[in-house]
Amino acid sequence: MPLSENQKQRYARQLCMPEIDITGQEKLLSSKVLIIGAGGLGSPAALYLAAAGVGTIGLADGDKVDLSNLQRQILHSTEKLGVKKVDSAAEQLESLNPDVHVIPYPRVLTEENISDLIADYDFVLECTDSFEAKYLINDACVRAKKPFCHGAVIRFFGQMLTYVPEAGPCYRCAFRHAPDEEKAPDAKKLGVIGAVPGVIGCLQALEAIKYLTGTGELLVGRFLSFDGRTMDFEIIELPRDPDCPACGKT
Amino acid sequence: MIEVRFFATLREGRGKVAQLSAEEVSCGGDILRRFSIQQEEVAILLINGFHSKPEDPIKDGDIVALFPPVGGG
Ligand SMILES: [Zn+2]
Repeated sequence: MPLSENQKQRYARQLCMPEIDITGQEKLLSSKVLIIGAGGLGSPAALYLAAAGVGTIGLADGDKVDLSNLQRQILHSTEKLGVKKVDSAAEQLESLNPDVHVIPYPRVLTEENISDLIADYDFVLECTDSFEAKYLINDACVRAKKPFCHGAVIRFFGQMLTYVPEAGPCYRCAFRHAPDEEKAPDAKKLGVIGAVPGVIGCLQALEAIKYLTGTGELLVGRFLSFDGRTMDFEIIELPRDPDCPACGKT
Repeated sequence: MIEVRFFATLREGRGKVAQLSAEEVSCGGDILRRFSIQQEEVAILLINGFHSKPEDPIKDGDIVALFPPVGGG
């Protein structure tokens, strides 16, 4: 479908870029991105993908909006306290851009439901706040050959890695073993500055846009570590692990 | 010399980089002990860019990078 006059205005700032142009915009409008976790990372990621005109955004989160979320989860607002995060998010995103179709999944992901959930999507953003979910999503995406972008934050620090099948390491290549949830650093206890998931979530949206439009270089095999105290963005090359239990050959 | 690079929360109280003389340590585990880092605080241990275990040997000129588990969202 050709872009309407309204769409030409809405997306004018990216339509004038050779990397996007009309072809790229049409790709974005016909793309489907699944965001798992509508919290600190998922909030900015969803807002920027909706603003850019990603046509279908799936949002999976089983939680309701809590007062302690609002310090960083900018998709939600005070009047949405107690509302399911996916419903609060859907309303916000559709009011930002009516071109976007938001599909809410108000449930916790499990081994049983994750494969069906990711199947329909072109790209997945892993914006969860638990190690268990991060490994679950990694393993399901690897099995389904689904590209995804991992993000994680704590205090002033953030990290990212993008997985593209056969092109680079998966999350389990980088982090072989899930840490003991009891002993692992927990943002609930150690805290996080809201702008830090803001930075990382925006970069996750950018990875999705780049993947969908075939632009630039993704964080494939390149682990990004962000230190918000010093403003260091460091990229560390990470090899694929041939013995990886998720993506390895053996 | 051996260069140790810390990332994320492992930088807190340690800075970004430390240098050790090769006589001080012989394996990755020695480095963790030297900086009072528990094994479960390290999610990735790279020696010269390759995934390594605490028991793997370290020699003069090596660069060691340590990353903690980060799971917040
Ligand atoms: Zn792997």
